[in-house]
Amino acid sequence: MSTINWLFEINFAIFSVFFVLFVSELMGGVLLLVAYDATKGKVLPYLVPIWEVTGTFAAFWVVTGDFAYPSMLWPVANLLAGLILVFLILFVLRNASISFAELILKGGRISEKRLYQLFGIATIGIAVAVLVVLSAIVSGAGVTLATLNFSLWGWVTSSGSIPYVVGVVFIAVGLAPVFYDIAPLRRLSVPFTVAGVAVEALGLYLYSSSFLSGYFLIPAILTVLASVMYQFRSTIPLVTNKLVFAIVGTVIVFSLSYLVYPTAFGGAIKVDAVTTSGPMVGAFYVLSAVGAVVVGLLMAFYMLTVRNAAKVPGVPSPAPSVGPVVHNP
Amino acid sequence: MSDIVNFDRFLFAFTIGSHILLVSLSIGMAILICVSEFLLARTQNKYYGGLVRRLVRPFVVSFGIGTASGIVMAVELVNLFPRFMTLVSSTGVIAVFYVEIFAFFIETIFLVVYVYYGNTFKGRYTRWLLTLPIVVGTLLSAVLIVMVNAWMNTPNGFDIGAYVASGSSYTVTGVDPWAPFLTASTGYEVFHVLGSVPLTGVMLLGGFFAYRYLKSPTAEERTLFLTGLRLAVALALVFVVLSIIAGALEIDGLWQYQPLKYAAIELDPTPGSNDPMTLFGTVVGTSIVGGLQIPGLQGFLEGGKTMPGLSQYPQSSWPPLIIHDAFDVMLIGGALLGLFVIAYVALWVTKRKPFDKPLLAYLFLAFSALTATVMELGWMTDELGRQPWIVYNVLTVANAANGNNALYGPGIAIIVGYCFLVPFTFWFMDRVFRGKPIAVDLSGPAGGEDVNY
Repeated sequence: MSTINWLFEINFAIFSVFFVLFVSELMGGVLLLVAYDATKGKVLPYLVPIWEVTGTFAAFWVVTGDFAYPSMLWPVANLLAGLILVFLILFVLRNASISFAELILKGGRISEKRLYQLFGIATIGIAVAVLVVLSAIVSGAGVTLATLNFSLWGWVTSSGSIPYVVGVVFIAVGLAPVFYDIAPLRRLSVPFTVAGVAVEALGLYLYSSSFLSGYFLIPAILTVLASVMYQFRSTIPLVTNKLVFAIVGTVIVFSLSYLVYPTAFGGAIKVDAVTTSGPMVGAFYVLSAVGAVVVGLLMAFYMLTVRNAAKVPGVPSPAPSVGPVVHNP
Repeated sequence: MSDIVNFDRFLFAFTIGSHILLVSLSIGMAILICVSEFLLARTQNKYYGGLVRRLVRPFVVSFGIGTASGIVMAVELVNLFPRFMTLVSSTGVIAVFYVEIFAFFIETIFLVVYVYYGNTFKGRYTRWLLTLPIVVGTLLSAVLIVMVNAWMNTPNGFDIGAYVASGSSYTVTGVDPWAPFLTASTGYEVFHVLGSVPLTGVMLLGGFFAYRYLKSPTAEERTLFLTGLRLAVALALVFVVLSIIAGALEIDGLWQYQPLKYAAIELDPTPGSNDPMTLFGTVVGTSIVGGLQIPGLQGFLEGGKTMPGLSQYPQSSWPPLIIHDAFDVMLIGGALLGLFVIAYVALWVTKRKPFDKPLLAYLFLAFSALTATVMELGWMTDELGRQPWIVYNVLTVANAANGNNALYGPGIAIIVGYCFLVPFTFWFMDRVFRGKPIAVDLSGPAGGEDVNY
């Protein structure tokens, strides 16, 4: 009888939250890049406080991953060393550009607009690096485990890789108007999202036909549904509520866990076999339980503050994340 | 040792050397903001409000860059020293890292709430209360990472003998996941960091205030910077005393738990109980060459205990003896800093106004740079003193490191990037600190109004 690998589930749940926060940043970054003046009013009030939380969730995921899979650190570090350092460079660029943009003085040689757009470029770069790493972990594309070698060319020429990345990009473009409630782009939402889901499905199928099982239906339907709900006045308030979006997004990402469990790297690694064991498991549970309470309380405090801020005149009112949703007619 | 191992070593040293400078400044700012908020609530003095408003802006920048460099370090540990992180993750050390994430969350959430939504809260002391978890979070992060360092110096929590005996299979058994929270050296290392890191932060800020005080064109600006300078000195007084006590305890701990490092730091060629204190110089064979010797001083300071000597260990296991010079510079710098603080107290007690004459402000500027140098040298002494081990007597750097040549290109890019980023960050922090007219800043702390939405 198989038992649930709770270490995997907890680590993947944290990854899901991080990934949704990161994709929400990515969508904002793309909008700032292509239509800064038209979208900054909607994007910046959300992006400016949340980027600091996203980085914290990234660290949370990495540390729980280190905790859960100690025996994977040597192969992963050897396989993806260069790519991970590229990710780090882009991460520094992301943090630097947005924290400088937030506070740069008006009228200087470099404008806040250029810095926010640089943030967008860095975020897109991070997204590419993250997607390459994730798809390699899912499918084993470009990876030779026996020699601990990763070939970028091998990854590119693997049939599913390009559709895998293009699919995510299309979905992000399709859902960006929904998340940030950009009414003029509403009509683009459904075609891009549907095309993205279709291309993503193709990518997964090309990696391995087993990836396109019934499990894929749930995230696919929920993703398309979000863009469809944005087309109807009655459902717009629900679908543009950032908290609802984040929760549903986390469920969608979490439901994709079957892509890396019970096996990862295209079936070459059995996750249960590389998960930590013995007394470390108990310590992981205890700390995760304590952490869930601490992080839960902190996030509740944050959301409550944001909600209250919307009611206080004179306080910049970022993102009605949990507050009343204001929709541009 | 291969070039790539040395490159891994250099890259990490460079990254952490930059990181601790930013983090010290962040911790200093968090403490000064917290104290200023308290004094503002208590006295309603507008200069404390001005100080808060001006400090919050560079604090956000410092947090953003500090977070990035912290994550760079965390990921580099996995990437550059995967065998080390495998050991860390197989033992309770990873639990220390895990707890650090929660400290990081406390800092992040309260910082976001305080900076962007501070004005949502009513009540005279509420804003000050919001700053307390930020200080706790930043200090806790520093404490927890030093607990990892303490474990690297005095490892525990697994069967070390069996691990070493397992050779290249690196088998971890007998794990106690909670033991690394309290190793033999945790107490004094944590105590040391709680004194020295905030000291560096407030001294750096004090140096900046001193410089701006000397350059300010208006009386209001001079009063603002003088207010900051006085606060920095008061806090430095507390932290310098803590650092001196902690430093003495740490030396005692080294004598007990890392005798080879102790012998190298003190430059003791042979064991003995009445050793001289040697400033600079080096060891050739079993003799000290060069340097200045003060007969019997080391033996006196250590209460006549028997000191270990380098000759007790094979030369191949010695750490680089440059740590002795680094330690001496640190010692001299610390002593000068102590004298400077005593001089300031003497002036204050005798009711003189220390900053009425520019000399003390200039001196503060110089001591600010000296404190940062002393902290960097202290870290260097600790890390180089453990070489060739990454985990003392358990795992060498060479065995822990990643030999993948793909690290060179992006690694060099990180180094070049930091060479621009760190100075630019300091310059930018100065710009945003002074970015608004003094009248605006003296109107009180902001709640997100200074941010470009």
